[in-house]
Amino acid sequence: MKSVFYLLDTAPYGSEKAFGALNAVAVSLNGMNVTLGLYGDGVYLAAADQDSTNLRMPNLSDILYSYGELRVLVHEPSLIERGLFDKTLIETIELVDEEDFLKEMENLDSVILF
Amino acid sequence: MKTLTIVLTDGPYISEYAEIACKLTEEALRWYHVNIFLYLDAVHIPRKGQTPSFFSNIGELFTGLAEKGVVIRACARCAAARGYIAEENLENGSNCKDYHPGIRISSLYELAEMLKKSDRVISLSR
Repeated sequence: MKSVFYLLDTAPYGSEKAFGALNAVAVSLNGMNVTLGLYGDGVYLAAADQDSTNLRMPNLSDILYSYGELRVLVHEPSLIERGLFDKTLIETIELVDEEDFLKEMENLDSVILF
Repeated sequence: MKTLTIVLTDGPYISEYAEIACKLTEEALRWYHVNIFLYLDAVHIPRKGQTPSFFSNIGELFTGLAEKGVVIRACARCAAARGYIAEENLENGSNCKDYHPGIRISSLYELAEMLKKSDRVISLSR
């Protein structure tokens, strides 16, 4: 197995899914081509200036920043639907439409859902 | 023989994914070596002492898979967060006294190793 696509469609806080996805991403970066795809509510993870202090959770956007080699795809229609398209997003992401999102998923060896 | 890895993230009974994974594994064993990685709430699946009223005892189903050679590992961080502690010694193939035989708590790095060595991966998650 050479490549893996982690698909996150859950909002970053309020459950352990996004944090769990990022931990799985982190351990996979050694020796594999890893892509994180943000879809649906998962696109909230791409918002800049997250402040999770009062949630007693790690700042998940900071975790994304720390993995510079990770490719992060964000589903643009999901951003638009949630009013985030004109907001400040973290710099390391790529915006893709439906077709390109699907192509990227097809091109990797496995897809793991969160 | 090819290798199949199944990744689960949901606990038992909240969805049918654990039972579906069992059925898929039973069939897949004809052609594949099967790994199952239990992540997030899925670490509850192998817990001893489950007494579901209307469903199959999923812990017993999973220990049955382990007896057939399926490698079943649970994420250590997720397990510890939910009160399942890994011990140094193995007893009946398990390193957790709260787990059914044959199922071990392991590092998340084992998930990455399973993925690297797999020909196919199935992820079941709500």
